[in-house]
Amino acid sequence: MTAETGSQVAAKPARGRAVPGWLLGLACGAAVTLATPSAVMAGLLLAPGLMALVLDREPGRPAARAALMCGAAAAAVPVLGLWQSGLGVAGAVTAASDPEVLAGCWAAQAAGWLVAQLTPLLVRLGLDAAAAATAVRLRAERARYESEWGIPPAEGG
Amino acid sequence: MAQKPTPDDTEKLISGLYAVDAAHPLPGAGGGLPAFAVTDRRNNRGGLMAVQSLPEAPPRAQALNALSGWMDAGLLPPLAHGAARGAQGEVAWFVVSPAPPGPSLAATLRPCHEADLLHNVLRPAAAVLEALEARGITHRAICLDNLFRPGPGEPVVLGAAWSAPPASRQPALFEPPYSATCLPAGRGEGSIADDVYALGVVLVALALGRVPLEGMDPAAIMRRKLAVGSYAALVGEDRLPPAIGDLVRGMLAEDPEHRPLPMLLSDPINARARRVAARPLRRGQRPLELAGGPVWDARSLAVAVATDPEEGTRLLRSGAVVHWLRRSLGDPALAVRLEEVVRLRALDGTTDDARADGLLTMRAVAALDPLAPLNWRGVSLWPDGLGPALAAGAAEGAPAALLTERLGEMVGVEAVGHWAAMRAERADPTKPRTEARQHRTMLRMRGWGGGLPRLRYALNPLLPCRSKRLAGQMVARLSDLLPALEVAAARPEARSEQILDHEIAAFIAARHDQHIPAELVGLADSDQAEQVPLLQLRVLAGLQRRLEAGRLPGLAAWLAEQAAPALQAWRNRSHREALQQALAERVEAGQLGAMLAVLDNDMARAADARGFHAAGEVVNRIDARLAQLAAGGPDRANTARRLGHEIALGVAMMAMTIAGVAMVMS
Repeated sequence: MTAETGSQVAAKPARGRAVPGWLLGLACGAAVTLATPSAVMAGLLLAPGLMALVLDREPGRPAARAALMCGAAAAAVPVLGLWQSGLGVAGAVTAASDPEVLAGCWAAQAAGWLVAQLTPLLVRLGLDAAAAATAVRLRAERARYESEWGIPPAEGG
Repeated sequence: MAQKPTPDDTEKLISGLYAVDAAHPLPGAGGGLPAFAVTDRRNNRGGLMAVQSLPEAPPRAQALNALSGWMDAGLLPPLAHGAARGAQGEVAWFVVSPAPPGPSLAATLRPCHEADLLHNVLRPAAAVLEALEARGITHRAICLDNLFRPGPGEPVVLGAAWSAPPASRQPALFEPPYSATCLPAGRGEGSIADDVYALGVVLVALALGRVPLEGMDPAAIMRRKLAVGSYAALVGEDRLPPAIGDLVRGMLAEDPEHRPLPMLLSDPINARARRVAARPLRRGQRPLELAGGPVWDARSLAVAVATDPEEGTRLLRSGAVVHWLRRSLGDPALAVRLEEVVRLRALDGTTDDARADGLLTMRAVAALDPLAPLNWRGVSLWPDGLGPALAAGAAEGAPAALLTERLGEMVGVEAVGHWAAMRAERADPTKPRTEARQHRTMLRMRGWGGGLPRLRYALNPLLPCRSKRLAGQMVARLSDLLPALEVAAARPEARSEQILDHEIAAFIAARHDQHIPAELVGLADSDQAEQVPLLQLRVLAGLQRRLEAGRLPGLAAWLAEQAAPALQAWRNRSHREALQQALAERVEAGQLGAMLAVLDNDMARAADARGFHAAGEVVNRIDARLAQLAAGGPDRANTARRLGHEIALGVAMMAMTIAGVAMVMS
């Protein structure tokens, strides 16, 4: 209950900072209307990230965001190339179908997603290791006091 | 030529001079106590004897002090006293005195002429008694067995009487009836008049050439003397030489104040002329019937009540005694006094209060016969015999235990003060009252520094300590205690026991001429059990310092073993180990004061306590932190997730930035 309340409290500012859905929809609609080929190409290249955005139930969708941002970094050059070439939707599909481009983008998104999954684990490992080291140091200090002052050992310890 | 004692001999010598030859007993020389030949090691002179004291009958410290330097003839005075080995190898207390110059009068008993009795018995003995009286001492052992004569026509010599409580070895025949009725140990120093009485009995025996009332048991002798008077009881139908008869009649008076003084006896002609008429006893018209037989006079009634206090209590409380005194004896004044005594009984306690009954009979006996000794629930004694009586009560066995119980009750109710108040016309009751109060205070003192043992040692300055810790060693003076404990420390089986027990503590408290060590109170306090080793050390270290005793390594080791638990009370291990090391060093030196300085440091102890408290607080903080770490798993998981995601976004952001820069550059 308390944790739930805490997460709700923590989620509120994130929701406040998030871009409103209608604004996002308006921007996407404008992009589709004004730059349909680029939007198609971006949609194809960022499809895993977008799918993760839908599937990620974590507050703030950090994994999806990392995947999308990595995918965006990889898709920036192909989309710029399409923009500069002035090709239509068919050209965008053709360019996006290039296995090298598609694999690169999707691999970047996979990497982003992987990083988002692994870094909490690694950080947890680091924190636990630090806590264990502190506990060892404290127990050694306690043992010294026990020996020097005849203080009884801790229960279960 | 004088021979210097060797170091080995010194241990066995009394006062460093007198060697007791336990292989050469002197039968009959000690007035009923074992006596042995003694050699003066300064000049190897013989002619001395040592009279052995029995364990529960200490020698007479007051007489030993008062008679030091006695130079007059006619007495075997004490020359020295101390511990030595007896015939069985046991350590005992001996009093050294000149050996008797010849056989005792009992050994050569035959009828003597009047002139011989006057010149060779009465005068020399009276001169000695006069000198003793001048020193405030009584002899209390004048009897045929303890008077010696070098040969016919020679003056008699009074034997030694210093190795046992006064009159405790006297046959009942030679004692006034009021003394004979007492416990042998409780007859007290008495007065010189008691010696005059004994001398009178000796004169009767020598005049008759036989022991009067021979074969009669002591109680019967006492009853006969009280019934018909001592003179009539002893002389009976016999005829004494006229001068001796007149003298002896006065010497055997029942009232000590009616007996002639020794100074007067030195001049028999004048003494003979002195006559004191004693008022005859008033006899009742009818007897008072008691279980022990009919009683015709107040003195016999006092004896009956003293002998059977339970029946006496019954008769007193029923009013039968008062009725008999008023109606049959015709003594209304005495009846009124007895009524007052019975009235006081109601104030003293409830109907079933045995102590109140004891007070009742004690007061009644004192009122009925002011010459009678104090009688407490069947136990008769003179107040100055309380100390030796307590010593006798310390013996093994049920009778001694009962005696101790009775004496304890007596002291607890200040019976001596009440008894003295009842016979104020005989003696000023102020001093007995004060002493009774002091004794009760001593009895009620808390801890091992008080109680009956303390009183026993206080009233018997030469009574040896009875503690089993001492394993048979003779410790009669405080200075003997530490060496005895040093010897006891060598016995491994003793090491498991606490060093000081109630007997030793009471002995120390009684012999300590300064303040009573407060530690003796704590020793008996079970709430301070962990403090006992330290308290023992304080007491013994104080003694070692005050008595300037030498090294005591054995006792120090014993104390160190006992103090081991006290060391555990120190919390800091390093400090504790340092203390153990320091203690071990001081044990080897045998200095108890140095050991005490190590262990009894209040400032260091307080610092140790503060350190322990601070350490406890630190440990509590550590425990709290450890608990926090143990319970912090979910928090760390949340933190890790948050941080991990932020790192991932940061990496992604960096990738986007690099891509943007690359796009712009291209």
